[in-house]
Amino acid sequence: MEQTVIEYRGVRKHRGRKMIGPIDLRIPKGYVIAIVGENGSGKSTMMNMLMQMVIPDEGEISWFGQGELKEMTTEMKQQIAFVPEQTSPEENRWTVDQAVKFRSYWYPDWDSAYYEQLMDRFGVPRDVKLRKLSKGEQRKFEIAAALAARPKLLLLDEPSSGLDPFAWKMMIDELRLFMQGGETTIVMNTHIVDEVKKLADYIVMIHQGQLMGMAEKDSLLDNWKEVWLSTEEEIADDLPGVVSWQRETSTILRVLTTECQALEHTLHEADIQMLKMRGLELDEVLSLWIQGHKPA
Amino acid sequence: MWIPIQINEHSAEPLYHQIENQLRSLIISGQIEEGTLLPSIREFASGLNCSVITVRRVYQDLENEGLLRTKQGTGTFVAKVGEDTRDQYRVTAVQEAIDHAVDVGLSVHLSKEELMRLFTATLNLKYKTDDE
Repeated sequence: MEQTVIEYRGVRKHRGRKMIGPIDLRIPKGYVIAIVGENGSGKSTMMNMLMQMVIPDEGEISWFGQGELKEMTTEMKQQIAFVPEQTSPEENRWTVDQAVKFRSYWYPDWDSAYYEQLMDRFGVPRDVKLRKLSKGEQRKFEIAAALAARPKLLLLDEPSSGLDPFAWKMMIDELRLFMQGGETTIVMNTHIVDEVKKLADYIVMIHQGQLMGMAEKDSLLDNWKEVWLSTEEEIADDLPGVVSWQRETSTILRVLTTECQALEHTLHEADIQMLKMRGLELDEVLSLWIQGHKPA
Repeated sequence: MWIPIQINEHSAEPLYHQIENQLRSLIISGQIEEGTLLPSIREFASGLNCSVITVRRVYQDLENEGLLRTKQGTGTFVAKVGEDTRDQYRVTAVQEAIDHAVDVGLSVHLSKEELMRLFTATLNLKYKTDDE
């Protein structure tokens, strides 16, 4: 059985006129989990609740498999690094060096050499006040500082916002290298499809405050396909997982399925030939999912 | 190390199956030698843009087949491939290709005799047999 890093149980939160939850979600250890959804869908609130920066109205969250606790212990907090959407206002007056001194004091596993290496690679100036940095530089600093804490759980809220494509590529590379240790878990809020494609093992979909489910990325890509069939009969509605279909010619039927593996089996049994197949792009998969077509 | 695996996302074959088949044939054909240390699961997954769940499954399946072995703390290595496995693989690979050719023949309603004629002609051409 896989270990759980974070569990949400019946978590709800009112945000103005919006309601987030109830959310029931288990985040397994050692994976990259991408949380996707439109702006304002509740992704950041979910992450902020996890960090106890926002307290849920109902339900509970457990950290590192410790079920009984109402709040995180200091030891737990020291195993989590968080890259929030915005740099915290308290640190804004500090220089980069001052901020990092404070953080390295807080994290027992702080890796100075690694921090220096990342900052050099990202090219962030050190003796400048945080608020004087560009948005991209602030992001780079936050990511370097989060990684240098050698956390067991890394939370990234829209990590690439403000990054140029070169810095983005560096970030992807560094996150991949970081994951090679195998012990860490990354939870990442994002709406960048390429980021999900390159990093994620699991995808969690949030839509208007509601959890639409969690799925293995590869199983989505294996199963969500467009298939051209050789048949004259109108059989689309009897086939597994069909989301939509269209008759192309009198002998060719095109269907879009979320259960390609089952479909292939059915077609084989019925002796119907598949003429062509197209794997859906991840963004197509995500937009169908958001419309309510859930993974099997 | 970099392992030449090509994924076709427009195929009905699941990702793990594609990777598994290609890795198996690289090992059995000897293109990846005995004792080679394979990339870590995360590294391999990153290179293919797939998830660690998929790569772990591939490694486990091939380990169960005796083609890989994992040393705790060191990594996953290519095991020794026996001569009989290699021979069997050669036959299986060819058998699959012939099956496919015959299926294509059937789908265009070629007779058994016509297919046989084509097959013999190709054999003669490629093997340049003496009895010509």
